[in-house]
Amino acid sequence: MIQYNTFTLDNGLTVIHHQDESTQLCVINTLYNVGSKHEDPNKTGFAHLFEHLMFGGSVNIEEFDEELQNAGGESNAFTSNDITNYYLTLPSNNIETGFWLESDRMLSLDFSQESLDVQKSVVIEEFKERYLNQPYGDVWLKILPLAYKVHPYSWPTIGKEISHIENATLDDVKSFFKSFYCPNNAVLVVAGNISLEKCNMLCEKWFAPIPKQQINKPQYQKEPKQTEARKETVYAEVPQDMIVMAYHIPARTDKGYYVADLISDILGAGKSSRLYNALVKKNPMFSELDAYLSGDIDEGLLLIEGKLLPGINMDEAELAITQELNKLKTTDVEDLELQKVKNKSETNILFNDVGSLNKAMKLAYAFVLGDIELVNKEAEHYLSVNQIDIKALAKEIFDLNNCSTLYYRKK
Amino acid sequence: MNIDRTVAPQTEEISSFNLVEANSTKIENGINIHRIQAGNEAVLKVDFVFNAGSLHQSKKGQASLTNRMIGEGTSKYTSQQLADALDFYGAYISTRSATDESSVTLYCLSKHLSSCLTYIYEMLTDANFPEDDLKILTQNSVQKLAVNEQKNSFLVRKYFYSSIFGEDNPYGSSINKEDYLNINRQDLVEFYQTSYINKLEHILISGQADDSTMLEIEAFCKKFNNTISRKTLPFPKFDGSPERKKFHNKPGSSQSAIRIGRPIFNRSHMDFRKFQLLNLILGGYFGSRLMKNIREDKGLTYGIYSSLESYKNGGCWYIETEMNNELREQGLTEIYKELKTLREELIDNEELQTAKNYLLGSFLRSIDSPFSLADRYKILLDYNLEYSYYHEFIEIVKNTKAEEIRSLAKEYLQEADLYEIIVGC
Repeated sequence: MIQYNTFTLDNGLTVIHHQDESTQLCVINTLYNVGSKHEDPNKTGFAHLFEHLMFGGSVNIEEFDEELQNAGGESNAFTSNDITNYYLTLPSNNIETGFWLESDRMLSLDFSQESLDVQKSVVIEEFKERYLNQPYGDVWLKILPLAYKVHPYSWPTIGKEISHIENATLDDVKSFFKSFYCPNNAVLVVAGNISLEKCNMLCEKWFAPIPKQQINKPQYQKEPKQTEARKETVYAEVPQDMIVMAYHIPARTDKGYYVADLISDILGAGKSSRLYNALVKKNPMFSELDAYLSGDIDEGLLLIEGKLLPGINMDEAELAITQELNKLKTTDVEDLELQKVKNKSETNILFNDVGSLNKAMKLAYAFVLGDIELVNKEAEHYLSVNQIDIKALAKEIFDLNNCSTLYYRKK
Repeated sequence: MNIDRTVAPQTEEISSFNLVEANSTKIENGINIHRIQAGNEAVLKVDFVFNAGSLHQSKKGQASLTNRMIGEGTSKYTSQQLADALDFYGAYISTRSATDESSVTLYCLSKHLSSCLTYIYEMLTDANFPEDDLKILTQNSVQKLAVNEQKNSFLVRKYFYSSIFGEDNPYGSSINKEDYLNINRQDLVEFYQTSYINKLEHILISGQADDSTMLEIEAFCKKFNNTISRKTLPFPKFDGSPERKKFHNKPGSSQSAIRIGRPIFNRSHMDFRKFQLLNLILGGYFGSRLMKNIREDKGLTYGIYSSLESYKNGGCWYIETEMNNELREQGLTEIYKELKTLREELIDNEELQTAKNYLLGSFLRSIDSPFSLADRYKILLDYNLEYSYYHEFIEIVKNTKAEEIRSLAKEYLQEADLYEIIVGC
């Protein structure tokens, strides 16, 4: 059970406070409700590039990191399809430094061409390190445009291609900031050894003076229901063939999301899962085989990903996976098996609650999902799933016409 | 309210640490139980530690495969039954095999501990290493190795350790395809007999470990007929390569993976903690000189770090990065320039103070969760140290002078002593 208080400043900034007197630290987690899905399809990778620029100095503070480190703090950030999340941790007696730093970069950045040029190079190196200079590194770049034809989830957070990052201009940066980086498009979580009164006072002092802005959120289209099987084959210098199958699933706030999550656990999480036992152990066709969710807020994907053993035929491997999926459509999951995956999610939830930073991130994300109390209700959502739900959703999603398959073949 | 945003709020130096200490007991059969009671969630992490690292094996791959096969079947349960049972309790098992030792770790909710321990006991005393499961594991490991060997970052790590320690030294050797294919069931059974059965050395339990939890753990330990005869193995000699610079060509790479470094003392050495500060300044955090110069100023890489690794019988220090191929020479020049600056010039007070403050803050973060407290304590166990080691650490960090940083750099970071390994094109 995570306890929290919440209040909203006049400028529209939502604040969530969580107190933990057993720690000597305090966390400030700032989530901006903007991610790569809000990008222009011709300027992709921008939300993430922008995240890098947020560390390049703000209007009144030249060196973000140095000031933070000098107070004994550390910080980082991540960008997803849906959100951009910044977090910093400080010894709790120095937490005001965090308020000072975080509020100044919400107020305005020190936009400089030099900083933009350097961060463009850094992000291009990141693109190469993670997506190009790795065996199978570009799988994500291939499967997303196959699965999404309309919705902006069709490109990964890093961007569609390096040229989009190269072409970013200082004007783009400024207008992105103006559109999305303002108190009324953010949620601030303050967690750790700090009282509500102090949190309130520091928020009023540092964040309340930041003016509210008009948010210009681009509208994007919902992905229409897929009506045909989609397949693509690529060849690359890799040691073994790989298959990736992506099925559309319900949105994060839909009850079906929890059902899909449990289905992915039944199929492919760990050594007791069905796919592992059937196709890695009993009848070995794969050296690795997993099932997981993409974890997006809008309608996302359930992915099955497997590396084929030498000599195994791609068609047979695909058929074997499909047969396992079909079992979920025709036969009820046993009580014990369902209980097992529910118990696993209970453990996951509790382990993810350890530490103020984890709690802070969870609170911020729950707010974006529309209900802070989700942090305490998710376990119940998992518990309420029954056999009928599993079978019904399996029937709905494990349909050839709802599947995008990538055959990643060894050259 | 009018505030001056150009003025930083007052900060305080970190002066006190609330370090939750472990409580250790040794029971009659010699097993050491260490308890760290902390945290707000009803979760537990339990480490079972054995003197069963690659240092103790007689054949390559023996220690690591025995460790990984420990949950793959016992006389009573098949591998799937074990996995089903532990998953049913929502528990996770991870296994780890290093040079110095091996361990099995259980993560579970406090309420399921005793159910999980039943299966753990079977795994630690009665594993039977089914032939078929072993075949699948080795086959899949060979596949995974082939994928890893396409990664420049994996290769550079492997070549670095073998260069600085020697290919036949336990710290320098790595498993190759043939090693996997040469291992048979009997090798694992033998290693299990000599290094696991009744050889449980330590149990570290962290999280919400209340008194009833500890009674369960104690009862569990008493079931072992432990016979630990501590024989210290002579550690093989280091045999670093005479060739200090090596370039491995990997056509088609879009980046070069680089490691520059050397063997160095371990944690038992007087200079270790001061060197941690020196390492931090050079490449140990986001504000380090390497990061600022090579990433934040020149944009040549996504990241560049330096690290200090300590093992029971040695250690090493290195800089690592993956860098733009075309601008690699520029990057290398900058790296050596930063090393030279450290050797020749005194660090200014502001930079030194920031590094000290950051290091103390990061120590505070490292003692914040029950699991990281357990990691801190494990370090003390490994090197026979007391908690005073950490209290002294704080004093040492606070009192280290610019001259000491420079003289450490002079002593240990001479270019002639460094290895430079590159994988790229």
